[in-house]
Amino acid sequence: MILISPYSKKLSNGKTNPKNYPFWKEVIEGINEPVIQIGIEGEEQLTADFRKNLSIPEIKQLIKDCRLWISCDSFIQHLASLSGKRGIVLWSVSDPNIYGYPENVNLLKSRDCLSKNQFLWWESVEFDASKFVTPEEVLYNLSNF
Amino acid sequence: MSKILCSVATKGRYFSTLPLVLNAIINQTKLPDKLVIFDDNDEPQDMRNEFIYQHFFRILDIKGIQWEWLFAGKKGQHHIHQAANTMGFDWVWRVDDDAIPEPNVLETLSSYIDDKVGAVGGAILTPPLLFENSDPTGLLENIDNEPSVQWKNIKQVKSVEHLHCSFLYRAGIHDYNLGLSRVAHREETLFTYGLHQKGFVLLTVPNAITWHMKNPKGGIRDGQKQEMFDHDERIFRNIINYKEKTIVVLNNGMGDHVVFSKILPDIKNPVVFGCYPEIIPCKPIVEAQALFGDLDQWNIYKKMAEWNWTESIEKAYRKLYL
Repeated sequence: MILISPYSKKLSNGKTNPKNYPFWKEVIEGINEPVIQIGIEGEEQLTADFRKNLSIPEIKQLIKDCRLWISCDSFIQHLASLSGKRGIVLWSVSDPNIYGYPENVNLLKSRDCLSKNQFLWWESVEFDASKFVTPEEVLYNLSNF
Repeated sequence: MSKILCSVATKGRYFSTLPLVLNAIINQTKLPDKLVIFDDNDEPQDMRNEFIYQHFFRILDIKGIQWEWLFAGKKGQHHIHQAANTMGFDWVWRVDDDAIPEPNVLETLSSYIDDKVGAVGGAILTPPLLFENSDPTGLLENIDNEPSVQWKNIKQVKSVEHLHCSFLYRAGIHDYNLGLSRVAHREETLFTYGLHQKGFVLLTVPNAITWHMKNPKGGIRDGQKQEMFDHDERIFRNIINYKEKTIVVLNNGMGDHVVFSKILPDIKNPVVFGCYPEIIPCKPIVEAQALFGDLDQWNIYKKMAEWNWTESIEKAYRKLYL
């Protein structure tokens, strides 16, 4: 089973979070094993099994049970790091050297895509789908995981 | 070689004690690398038009001291000191606009700089000398019952927990509490005690006398109200009540709480204020706001921005708290 956490925290200005990976549907279509999506009420459902508003212990259990997890730069990578469970993180404007963990597969298209100021509110950064790696690259890394 | 900034905050003393202070700074046996005058006057003037200041500015140039005259935001001297604290210098020598250092003060204070020292202060004397027979400890627990160690002639080097008024301090280590009111009552006590809490030694040293004229006119605290003093005193007492603890404030996201949980076991006597008690047992963040006034000194993102940080958040937390 693969666990996915597709979305980062909603922005207060209502805009799309620039850390949200834009090609989840393509990635999910290419996965040949059960996929469980976790998130919160109001997020787009991408899989048949979408578990919302789970408690921390419930998420920890899913991380433990999954073969691997995939997420954008969000809470789940931090929680997974507590148990040492490796996963794939899909980056764009935030810096994996600051916010990520070297034990994960950190897919960053280019460091040129990183926001110059890493410490401002993400509300001030525009979403740009071209700053993410392609679904093919995600699936390639997934197949080698 | 440590770079030293001399910082003077001034209000209402253009033509009384400020020129004396500038003259004393210009004539130090060891000169600062830069002098910044933070002008907090309600109606600031262009002092380049004044003969005496023209004279000072020329001498500064001749002596090779960089200088800058900045118009401050009228928010209180703690904001001014914090600006100086974050200007990128190794040390800041803060001098009041009615405190006249003898010529050897900076040379003497800076001679005590080493890796363990966080701040060095000399005697701050106001005639008539009323405290020469006192024997203050310099401990914070005695602050209500004794004069400052600096208020009398200092005969030998002493390690203390807080300093007063004018001193040389290691920059960029601890923040001034910007939650204080404009009067900034207790600002230097809170600041220097914060350096002490971070493990740095604070020294009071002999042969470094500054004459504090306590000019009744003007001054950075001019025109303030009793309720501001009361407000600041409350914050001071609240912080002192936690002095045996390491105050942790997590006013940030769930992920930040998780990252912080990794360093929590390494923190001595922590008391945590946070937003996600399901991740880290903590007191409510609103309680921290009410107790301490300003939470920016614990804002890990602000800190990382200040430090031009490029490493992990966990390492940033370690730098902030350990």
